[in-house]
Amino acid sequence: MQTTHPAPPMATTRNPRERAGRLLQQHGALIVLAVLLVVGTVAFDSFTTPANLGNIATASSFLAIIAIGMTFVIISGGIDLSVGSLFVLGGVLAAYGSRHGAAVALGLPLVVCGAFGLVQGLIIARTRMAPFIVTLAGLLAARGLMLSLTDEGATTYLVEDDLFARIGQGAILDVGYPFFIMLAILAVAAVFLQRTGFGQNVYAIGGNEDAAALMGVPVARTKVVVYLVSGLLAGLAGALNAARLSSGVTILGIGLELDVIAAVVIGGTLLTGGAGALGGTIAGALLLGVIQNLINQVGGLTSSFQQVVSGAFLAVVVVAHRILGGVRRET
Amino acid sequence: MSLFSGRRARAAALLAAAVLVASGCAKSEDTAASPAPGGSEAQQQVVKTPSGPAGAGCTIAQHGATKFDLKTGVVGFSQSEKEANPFRIAETQSIKDEAAKLGIANLKVTNAQSQFSKQISDVQQLIAQGAQLLVIAPLNSDGWEPVLQQAAAKKVPIITIDRKINAKHCTDYLTFIGSDFVEQGRRAADQMIKALDGKGKVAILLGAPGNNVTTERTQGFKEQIAAKAPDIEITFEQTGEFAREKGQQVTEQLIQSNPDIDGIYAENDEMALGAVTALKGAGKKAGDVKIVSIDGTRGAVQGIVDGWIYGVIESNPRFGALAFETAQKFLDGESIPEKVIIADREYDESNAEGSLSQAY
Repeated sequence: MQTTHPAPPMATTRNPRERAGRLLQQHGALIVLAVLLVVGTVAFDSFTTPANLGNIATASSFLAIIAIGMTFVIISGGIDLSVGSLFVLGGVLAAYGSRHGAAVALGLPLVVCGAFGLVQGLIIARTRMAPFIVTLAGLLAARGLMLSLTDEGATTYLVEDDLFARIGQGAILDVGYPFFIMLAILAVAAVFLQRTGFGQNVYAIGGNEDAAALMGVPVARTKVVVYLVSGLLAGLAGALNAARLSSGVTILGIGLELDVIAAVVIGGTLLTGGAGALGGTIAGALLLGVIQNLINQVGGLTSSFQQVVSGAFLAVVVVAHRILGGVRRET
Repeated sequence: MSLFSGRRARAAALLAAAVLVASGCAKSEDTAASPAPGGSEAQQQVVKTPSGPAGAGCTIAQHGATKFDLKTGVVGFSQSEKEANPFRIAETQSIKDEAAKLGIANLKVTNAQSQFSKQISDVQQLIAQGAQLLVIAPLNSDGWEPVLQQAAAKKVPIITIDRKINAKHCTDYLTFIGSDFVEQGRRAADQMIKALDGKGKVAILLGAPGNNVTTERTQGFKEQIAAKAPDIEITFEQTGEFAREKGQQVTEQLIQSNPDIDGIYAENDEMALGAVTALKGAGKKAGDVKIVSIDGTRGAVQGIVDGWIYGVIESNPRFGALAFETAQKFLDGESIPEKVIIADREYDESNAEGSLSQAY
């Protein structure tokens, strides 16, 4: 995961304090994740079993795949609220399409959810409307489309293609295929974000859009691609989840966009754009899964505590960003 | 006071249920016809009929599970929804109380907070923690594949309560314990027919989509209306997702679009109470619109006493005794049917005031 962190987007670090601060911002989620894994191992016998860790990794991979797309969006200075709806829509379309084979099961959600992302990106880029509103409209439209395909959510399509189901259900050493698919997407996405002109443009737009435009960065095109990627990945995650569940469950994804944004921000990406990294995002997604698992391990706590803990952690991270961001601006 | 009488009633009901189940296996048609016992015994769940033809049951040998002692074994319970609804509170409490009573030391409880993805990981975690028996209140009927695979690999028996899982009896799950929701819908329709004298316009506040409870409560109600009272017209149907605020919101829209509505069938009490708030807000008086609902929560039974609700069909959430008793029978080698259907009571103005202490 080290390699996925960016060269510092701003000036090079000068003093130790700032370097420590930056380290904390970029690797904070990873450090906390490591600490929690140690704590979990010491405190609970049933935590560090292959089955349990495999479950956490597999269950977190869907959130992580969507969060990879969201990281691009947030670094570019935007937000995508439609991903939860696209996730459930993707799942329903995949289950529906599975009767025509694995290719349709995968292709249909990618085409439809990609189209949603593309249209949202075009509207945001061309009209300069706020991404918050445009993707809120996308959230409502995608969920509405899903409901209309399923008789208001009453019909659940079952996955009828074994090959497609195996993509979601297969496992290597208790870790499901979706986790490895997530790692592959992470690798490709990291190369695009860190090693290509496109990635630099995403950072540049998020840092200062007007300055980027003056420097000749293709702002509109970059934005369209960013929202297209986010839509595609949300649809893909939905399809993989449908394969795992063997059905297009209609009650998924409500409020998922907020968990995704939380994972990205906990991972060290600034909500204001211009800075962030994919490694932190994955650590953030896994961290949310580990917190949920540990709270279940404690048992006596009600599970509402998971939200309290995640919320408190998010607040700490945002405050830390603020302080670190302040330090950086002074230099 | 009520706690003590509750305990005693539970013991009595346990006995009654045991007798009924035992006799039900031999001659299930007789027990199906027998009415629910009245008085304090009705507070606990009573088996109405262990359905399914003889020989279709599931024994521990057929299932492949290993026998263990409930007291020392690990038992997992997965609750589906936030405990903001009296039904869920009573259900979880009943499981916990019964486990404590039976001396089940290692009961692990999770709550999915109405998020299906979380419920799947919750149950997977319970399996990973070594659960030897799973009691699940499923949020959704489909989508259990990852859980079923892991449970099957470890031969962990699954008892689902209050909602079903769409899967194979014995290979995937042991049994479903719950009400006959179609029958609940039919009985609600009977009350509505009585309330409206067989004539009028009725709206339905549907439950959350994607589970068998909503589908069957709707089906039973519509079938009965069509068969018994063709002059009752169902003019409005919308989902209130089993939630009070959603029931209120939908009813507010209903009053706007159909001001001449005569009756509202709410598929649970929470939505009915939301509807009452909406009717009050619109300046209606108690009894102007006849409300019939299902569940039997204290708030709804109080609503009957106050005149806002016409009748309530009970859906008993106290699954603890029956769930563990079924598990014990299974471990003892008895054959367990695909469904264990419980008897539900009915509340209307004749018994609401006296039954208030038994509502949950």
